[in-house]
Amino acid sequence: MAEVTLENVVKRYGDTTAVHGVSLDIAHNEFVVLVGPSGCGKSTTLRMIAGLEEISDGTIRIGDRIVNGLPPRARNISMVFQSYALYPHMNVRDNLGFGLKIAGLSKDEIARRVNEAAEILGLDMLMDRLPAHLSGGQRQRVAMGRAIVRNPDVFLFDEPLSNLDAKLRGQMRVEIKKLHQRVGTTIIYVTHDQVEAMTLADRIVIMRDGRVEQVGTPAEVFETPVNTFVAGFIGSPPMNQLPATVVGAAARLADGVTIPLPADIAPRLKDGQNVTLGFRPDGFSPAGHGMLTDAATVTIARDILIAEPLGNESILTVELGGKDVQGKMLNPRVLRSGERVDFLLDLSHLHVFDGESGRNLGV
Amino acid sequence: MAESTPMPARRFDPWPATIFVMLAVLAVLFLLPTAGVVLSSLKTTHDISMGDLWSLPATLYLGNFREALSNPSVHRYLLNTLLVTLPATTGSITLGVLAGYVFAKLPFRGSNALFLVLVAGMFFPPQAILVPLFRMFNAVGLIDTLWPVIVVHTALGIPICTLLMRNFFATVPNALREAAIMEGASEWQVLTRVVLPLSLPALAVLAVLQFTWIWNDFLWPLIFTKSDDKRTIMIGIVNLKGQYSVAWGVQGALSLVASLPTLAVFLFFQRYFIKGMTMGAVKG
Repeated sequence: MAEVTLENVVKRYGDTTAVHGVSLDIAHNEFVVLVGPSGCGKSTTLRMIAGLEEISDGTIRIGDRIVNGLPPRARNISMVFQSYALYPHMNVRDNLGFGLKIAGLSKDEIARRVNEAAEILGLDMLMDRLPAHLSGGQRQRVAMGRAIVRNPDVFLFDEPLSNLDAKLRGQMRVEIKKLHQRVGTTIIYVTHDQVEAMTLADRIVIMRDGRVEQVGTPAEVFETPVNTFVAGFIGSPPMNQLPATVVGAAARLADGVTIPLPADIAPRLKDGQNVTLGFRPDGFSPAGHGMLTDAATVTIARDILIAEPLGNESILTVELGGKDVQGKMLNPRVLRSGERVDFLLDLSHLHVFDGESGRNLGV
Repeated sequence: MAESTPMPARRFDPWPATIFVMLAVLAVLFLLPTAGVVLSSLKTTHDISMGDLWSLPATLYLGNFREALSNPSVHRYLLNTLLVTLPATTGSITLGVLAGYVFAKLPFRGSNALFLVLVAGMFFPPQAILVPLFRMFNAVGLIDTLWPVIVVHTALGIPICTLLMRNFFATVPNALREAAIMEGASEWQVLTRVVLPLSLPALAVLAVLQFTWIWNDFLWPLIFTKSDDKRTIMIGIVNLKGQYSVAWGVQGALSLVASLPTLAVFLFFQRYFIKGMTMGAVKG
């Protein structure tokens, strides 16, 4: 069993604090993705779990052992690096077997485990090649194979797909997911790509400036973001966010459009209070072209600024509340720029955030 | 059928020709002394004394080589030089590798300053440390042994070896070291199994540089050794001159023989001068 627990883990570099007291409980066999923009402390957190960075404060547990002072080799962890970090002078077989050789395993045992990993990852035909003679995807698979041969308690992935092109990234995502289902080991995965996070994770940890903003399942962080940062970070295109002022049970946008507030939130707000209204493009569609069924809606007529056809849907940009807002049109018809269209705004998925703190008032 | 357009006349570019001529002149200048030595080694002392050094010899006279190689002192000189060069080359490169690895991959507070101090050792003129070193080795009774020559060459080689290895190690991606550490390797295993195999080009350059420099050195054996059976080959060449005449031919022959080991070392290590060993190690 390999739960990973972080209690108030801090990392300081001189006077700069890179990670401010991160606490996390990761269950055995769970796939957890740390996601956030560059410099948010996700890679540092991963490297502290790996033992490649010392922790300045707090406690890290793997299983029931506190590993704060343990060197990486004593933690029984494998890591896949962003740059693959394959040994260039060794062929695939030796790359896969390096760690086992260091551990002093017998030749037969090394060969058995290496062949097993190669079979899982489809590397059988490449065993005698040097890394320089492999494609990006093959190198990535070797890096993963090197991680699994050691039967570690925990896998760490540090942005493993960021050097691959979009198509290969999609394929490798599936492979990583399959690998997790097959080996069933705890995985902690770092990425800045929210699509990777949403598709792979059992739970997502969203970080900003060295702090955890929200922890939850992909559905939770998508449906109920705790603040405007998470709302803007998760989802593509991102959630529309419009500043508004509370007027009775509604909120008035900068251009005077008023939108009714959810009944459970409105009574808690004061007249004149600044809020930010958030809604996803899926909840803002031309009448007859959305997923809206009998949900409460409000109709807003707007001129089309830009229509981006994607085949089965189009992304439409219009101006609302003094800002560019994106909507989604299912089963699209051809729209001309400047054409006036009635949009339905789905009020059941309207989020209200505090104007100052950005906190979601509905959570 | 379309008419073929005539090729535009190529304009004469004087630069390649100028550079070629300059390089050719430089090459001739560099080769002249060697040519002089080769020519004198193939002539009798009488022919050389006639002042006709630069003409081709009428007959191929190999007596100089015979004389040089049959001299038992020469065997001793060659052995002594080997006894100095091998341990000093190995020692300075080993220490340079260890220090370079620490400076490149395991920096500590003040390591950059220490690195500068170490590299500054390269700029010490040997004349400035000659007398203190002589007195020191004299005090411990090592004068007229090969030990001071070995120790001084090892020590003087550390700065250049450290500089070169540190700079080369710095180009080996840190992720390789971290990957090996994650797989359970100790720092020593990272160095010997991952980093050093990738550093063969740098090691080859150092081996050639250090071997040549130590093998060809004249100063330190001259200072630290006295008796003929402790002399190295470069001093031996000078010792071959007769009492009343200079044996140019024999000296020339021995000079050529003495340069063969350095040539052999260069040719041996040349095959490790492979660029791009790290290609494919990381993204790309």
